[in-house]
Amino acid sequence: MLNVMALSLGFGLITASVLALAAVGLSLQFGVTNYINFAYGEFLTLGAYFAWTLSHGLGLNLWLSVGLAALLMGLFGVLLNRFLLKPFTQKGVPLHFLLVVTFGLSLFLSNLILAIWGPNFKTLDLPRETPHRFGLFLFTNSQLTIIAIAAVAMLGVHLLLTRTEIGKAMRAMSDSTDLAQVSGIDTNRITSFTWLVSGALAGLAGIVLVMNINSFQPSFGGEFLFVIFAAVILGGVGSPYGAMLGALVIGLATEMSAIFVNSAYKNDVAFALLILTLLLRPSGIIRMAGKV
Amino acid sequence: MPPIVYYLTTLIVFFFIFAISTWGLNLQFGTAGILNFTYITFFAIGGYFSGVSMLGRPDALSHMRYIMGLGLPFPIALLIGTVASCVLGALVGLVALRRLRSDYLAIVTVSVGAIVYDLVNVNTELFNGADGIAGVPYPFQKALGLDPNTYTLFYVLLAGLFALVLGIVAFRIYNAPLGRTLRAIREDRDVAAAFGKNTYLFQMVAMVVGCAYAGIAGALLIGFISALNPGGWTAGETFLLYAALLLGGRGNNWGALLGAFLLPVLFQEATRYLPQVPGHPELIPAVRNMLVGALLIAILWFRPEGIMPERKARFPRVDFTPRREAAAVD
Repeated sequence: MLNVMALSLGFGLITASVLALAAVGLSLQFGVTNYINFAYGEFLTLGAYFAWTLSHGLGLNLWLSVGLAALLMGLFGVLLNRFLLKPFTQKGVPLHFLLVVTFGLSLFLSNLILAIWGPNFKTLDLPRETPHRFGLFLFTNSQLTIIAIAAVAMLGVHLLLTRTEIGKAMRAMSDSTDLAQVSGIDTNRITSFTWLVSGALAGLAGIVLVMNINSFQPSFGGEFLFVIFAAVILGGVGSPYGAMLGALVIGLATEMSAIFVNSAYKNDVAFALLILTLLLRPSGIIRMAGKV
Repeated sequence: MPPIVYYLTTLIVFFFIFAISTWGLNLQFGTAGILNFTYITFFAIGGYFSGVSMLGRPDALSHMRYIMGLGLPFPIALLIGTVASCVLGALVGLVALRRLRSDYLAIVTVSVGAIVYDLVNVNTELFNGADGIAGVPYPFQKALGLDPNTYTLFYVLLAGLFALVLGIVAFRIYNAPLGRTLRAIREDRDVAAAFGKNTYLFQMVAMVVGCAYAGIAGALLIGFISALNPGGWTAGETFLLYAALLLGGRGNNWGALLGAFLLPVLFQEATRYLPQVPGHPELIPAVRNMLVGALLIAILWFRPEGIMPERKARFPRVDFTPRREAAAVD
C-alpha cells in the first residue's frame, strides 16, 4: 500500500508540474486581459506538434526543439492578440462575443492541426531509460525533466512578477487596467508581453504533457482544457500563485484518486473539485478582486 | 419514391431538426445571454434517452449494451429524453447561473460537455460507448403500419409539426414578459436585478427550456436516423449552431430559422460533395470545420448582428444639452 501511495504521489507530482505550467499561463493572460481564452487547449496541442516537427521533420536536437517550439508558441500568442483579439477588444465588443471568438478559434485551430498533421498518433523520441529510485519514489529521466522544467518556469514567473518592472506592471494591470494606464504603464506592450509568456508556457505545458503520456493526437490539448480550468478556478482566477496551488491540488487529487477508483475516472475527480469550488468558494483559494 | 424526392425530404427533416435546435440556442444565448458552449450535449442526452426508451431490452444478438431498453412508444420516449436533457440543464444552471460572471458558466458547460463525452465513451454500459446505439425503431411505423418506402414523407410531417409548435412557442416567449425580462438581463444583469427581477430564476427558465428544445431535436433525430454515437455530438456541432445563429441574427427567431437553413443544411450539403483527398479522409471535414470557425469569427467582426438583426425597442431621445448656459454667457 505504501508503495502504491508513493507511486501515485509521484504521478501526482508530475501531473501537477504539467498543470502548473498550463494553469499559470492561462491565469496570467486572464488576469491581464480579463477574458478567458477557450482556444488555450489548442495552444498546448500546437506546442507539442511544433516540437515534433522541429525534432522529427527538421532533425533538430530534442531539447533545442522544445525551446524553439515554446518560443514559437509565445510568438503565436503575440500575433494572435495583435491581429485577432486586440482588434476585437478595441472595437469594444461585449465579453460574450469575445468568448465566442476564442471558442471559434479553438475549432479553427484544432481542425487546422488535424489538417496539417493528420489524425494518427505521434511520439516525441525520448531516450530509452531506466527509472531512478528516490526513497519510495520512482522517476524516469523524462519525468524528472518535466518536474525540473516546471520548477524552473515557476521560479521564473515568480521572479518576473516580483523583481522586474514589466512583471510589476502585469500585476498592476491585473488589479485594474484603467489605474495601470493612468499611472503611465504602456498597457499594449504589457498585454503583448503577457501573451508571449502565456503562449510559451502553454507550448511548454503541451510538450511536457506529451512527454508524460508518450503518444499524442490532435485532440489532446482540448481534452485537457477543463482540467486546467479546474486548477485555475480552484486556485483563484487571475492569481498565478493560486494557479500553482490549484495545479498541485488537482494534480495530486486526480492521481491519488486512482488508488480508490478506476483510473479512467481521474478526470471526473478534477471535474468534481471544479464544481465543489464553484459551489462553495467561487473566488477560489486566493481571492482576486473583480474576477468572479 | 424517386431518389431526389427521398434526398429532399431528408434535407427538410434535417432543416426542421436544426431549426428547433437553433431556436433553443437562441433562447439561451440569443435572448438570455447564457453562454452554453456544449449545447449539443443536451441534444445528445435527449437523443440517447429517447433512443434507449424506444429500444427493447438488449439481447445477445445485437451486441449492444445500454441502460433502460423499455420498448416504449415514441411520444413517451421523447418525453423521457426531453426531461433528461432538462434535468442536466437544471443541474448545470444550479452550479453556474448563480452570481457568477458569464465566463464561468461557459467554463462549466465546456467541462460538463467533456465529462459527459468521457462518461459515455468509457462507460459502455450506458449507451454502448464509442460505437453508439443503433437500430432504434422508427416512430409510429409499426403502430400506423406505414410503408418504409414513403416513411420519410411521414417524418417530414412529424418533424414539421414539432417545428411549427416549437417555433410558435419560441416567438411567443420572445415577445412575452418572460422574453423581455430575459433580454433585459442579457443587456445588464444588475439593472434587471435592481428592478426587482430574480435574474437567477429567469435565466434558469431560459436554460431549462432551451435544453428542452435541444432534447426534443435530439429525440427527433434519433427517431429519424435510428442511431447515435459520440462522433455525432462533438464541439464542432455546437460551433455549427452558434455560427448558424450568429449568421442568421442573434436574438431574432426568424434569423435563427434562416441560419439553420444556410449553415447546417445548405453549407453542409454543398461541402459534402467536395472531392475526397486520397489517403486523407479527415482532410475535407477538417477544412469544413475550419471554414465554420473562420466564418463565426468573420461574422462577429463584420456583422455581429447577423443577416436579420434583432429589432430593438426604440425610445425617444432626451436632449440634455444645456442651452440656457450658452445664452447666459452672451
